Amino acid sequence: MNARLAGLLLTASVAGALVASAGAAVADSSEGHIGAQEERGTAISSSRVTYATPAVRLMRADGKPVSLPGELDDGRPVVMNFIFTTCSSICPLASQTFAEFARELGPDASTVHLVSISVDPEQDTPARLTEYAHKYHAGSEWQFYTGTVDASLSTQRAFDVYRGDKMMHTPVTLLRAAPGQPWLRLEGFVTPNELLHAYRALLAAR
Amino acid sequence: MPMRILQGAIAALFLAGSMANAGAGSTAAGEALYRRGVMPSGALLSGRREGNVTVAGIDAACVSCHRRSGLGTTEGRITIPPIAGVYLFRPGDARIDDEAVPYVGTARVKHSAYTDETLARAIRTGVGADGRALNYLMPRYDLDDATMAALIGYLKGLSPRRAPGVTDTVLHFATIITPDADPHAREGMLDVMRQYFADKSAAARAVAPRLYANRPMMFRVNRKWQLHVWQLEGRPETWEAQLAKKLAAEPVFAVISGLGGPEWEPVRRFCESQGVPCLFPNVEAPPGRDDDFYSMYFSRGVLLEAQLIGEQLHDTAGRARRVVQLYRAGDVGAKAAAELQAARVASGETTVTRALPVRRSPGDVADALKDVASNDALVLWLRAADLAALQGVPAHAAHVWISGEMGGLEQAPLPASWRPVTRMAYPVDLPGQRVVRVDYALGWFRIRQIPLVAQKVQVDTYLACGLMSETLNHMVDTFVRDYLLERVEMMLDHRALTGYYPRLTLAPGQRFASKGGYVVRFTEPQGPKVAAVTDWLTPEAVAPRTLSARALSARAQSAGAP
Repeated sequence: MNARLAGLLLTASVAGALVASAGAAVADSSEGHIGAQEERGTAISSSRVTYATPAVRLMRADGKPVSLPGELDDGRPVVMNFIFTTCSSICPLASQTFAEFARELGPDASTVHLVSISVDPEQDTPARLTEYAHKYHAGSEWQFYTGTVDASLSTQRAFDVYRGDKMMHTPVTLLRAAPGQPWLRLEGFVTPNELLHAYRALLAAR
Repeated sequence: MPMRILQGAIAALFLAGSMANAGAGSTAAGEALYRRGVMPSGALLSGRREGNVTVAGIDAACVSCHRRSGLGTTEGRITIPPIAGVYLFRPGDARIDDEAVPYVGTARVKHSAYTDETLARAIRTGVGADGRALNYLMPRYDLDDATMAALIGYLKGLSPRRAPGVTDTVLHFATIITPDADPHAREGMLDVMRQYFADKSAAARAVAPRLYANRPMMFRVNRKWQLHVWQLEGRPETWEAQLAKKLAAEPVFAVISGLGGPEWEPVRRFCESQGVPCLFPNVEAPPGRDDDFYSMYFSRGVLLEAQLIGEQLHDTAGRARRVVQLYRAGDVGAKAAAELQAARVASGETTVTRALPVRRSPGDVADALKDVASNDALVLWLRAADLAALQGVPAHAAHVWISGEMGGLEQAPLPASWRPVTRMAYPVDLPGQRVVRVDYALGWFRIRQIPLVAQKVQVDTYLACGLMSETLNHMVDTFVRDYLLERVEMMLDHRALTGYYPRLTLAPGQRFASKGGYVVRFTEPQGPKVAAVTDWLTPEAVAPRTLSARALSARAQSAGAP
């Protein structure tokens, strides 16, 4: 087990405390490179954060108008990310990870709620999200959400993923074992294996 | 289930067909790999990332991250570097003075040059030119030697060389006008463009200085702007050839704005086949799809209205006996009526579509509506003059919809007796909400003494010019046509002054910047006061014929899934 995975497990298993731990980041050392921080390695940072779920209404990809708190607080553990269907670099990887995660859970997949919320709701109509869901073989445990721009923005702000514009989004995965508990926030590209370990550790510590 | 298999088969045939005659060594093979994620054999390209996560097809294709231009992009904190040949095969720090290697913010400054061998190694094993691992996001690809050679050949052919229509001192643009375009709007649009171009050229000084830095600077593009007006003539079948001739005679960097009537398809084909950016033409029924690359539009116009009205008809309590549509032949209403007719097919309800003659005659609108009864729904794809002709015509139908785009938005001269039963499709922001954004343009028109003859067209034209200007300012000295479109995709979201539209956003695989509209009603018997009866709606527009290549590929993959 590598150091990074151990770090994730440690974080996930500490209950009720706000712990921020930086994963083993491999920083790129090309000085003179302009501006943007280069994520050469698979740098994951994890923290436990309490978020207040905003009382917004969203549209589920199956066409049903829903309340976000209702969707997140049905008792199931939640694994959540934010995507948009025309995103061609980050989101396919994040969604592929969710698909692999669900596959590896096997029969346990029916007990988790995978949530993907669109940050481009005007483009991502329910039909487009359904198309996207088919592409990743999403089972009924994995739901996609869109809605008005205001509802999407409120949701993004509430979970601190809003970065001004969809092109500025960063890979974030949020996990919560049960309603009322804090969220485990994973920043960076988490592999299906890492997601699985973090999820199981989170449930074990519940 | 059979339908999915059929669609999957069609998609696979489409993909395979596009590979016909492409040997592993040809440019076509390299392009298919780069742009569509298809191997010379016709199989989908497959890439592998750490944690054994695989991607296939278009998600594995280079274009998805490195973009069509090969100049890379940024997403969040991630910088995706350029892979056009000159950025790979020359060392990083040799580039600063090299005119053939223009500045892009994504370029890695310090790295060794690749060779064909080390590049193949990087693609297969993820080890970079300097022996270090590449970014996590970059997959590894198991390509045989012939396929690898095709891909590397394609990368070498991707060139950021300065596009046609750009000299040291002048930027050449064209605007396209079809013979069926409205003559008043034509003059109004050209007034705006000529003045805008005159302003840009007045600010220009001498030769643009070379950039000697590797830092992202706001670079003032000090070139004059020159406008070429490409007025088309004759039948639409001849337009594409006319445009090709004009482009050859007057090379331009891009096409801005422009004005069309019902037919714009030949222009769309010209832009796609010649690889010329065509930004935001004033067309009410744009023929494009989201997976066209070169044309960008503000809105789907009357086609969007047809979708809005279609959804309203679907939701109307108490089904209409039938839906009666009326349009005037030769005008864009024909396209809208066809769109609504197609959307209604699934409903199983009767839709009657009637065409008025091209030339108006007294009473022709009234005659066409003689048999309309109170359990009919009426959809009128009519201009202001024909709406005004409804004066004195009894409004029998219980529900009437009209086109805001065609009728003149809140200025539509709908007679008082029709107003209580009529709703207007309104694909722009409400008057009260858009005041500040539109006033910005109107103020400039007043200062420059540009007569207001077609307000929306003129405001949209001013908006298109402004977007071009802003985007070019951020492109530094890198005048690559594909890159222009990619930068607009990235930057459009940030613009606050969006004219008539509440929001403009684009992305790779999106070509219509404003995606919705309101349905409004007149609140008074006379005058332009309107109120929204819906929220801002973004209708579903995903009929199979509008699915993008990405979605078709997804269907093919799902159909083939175990």
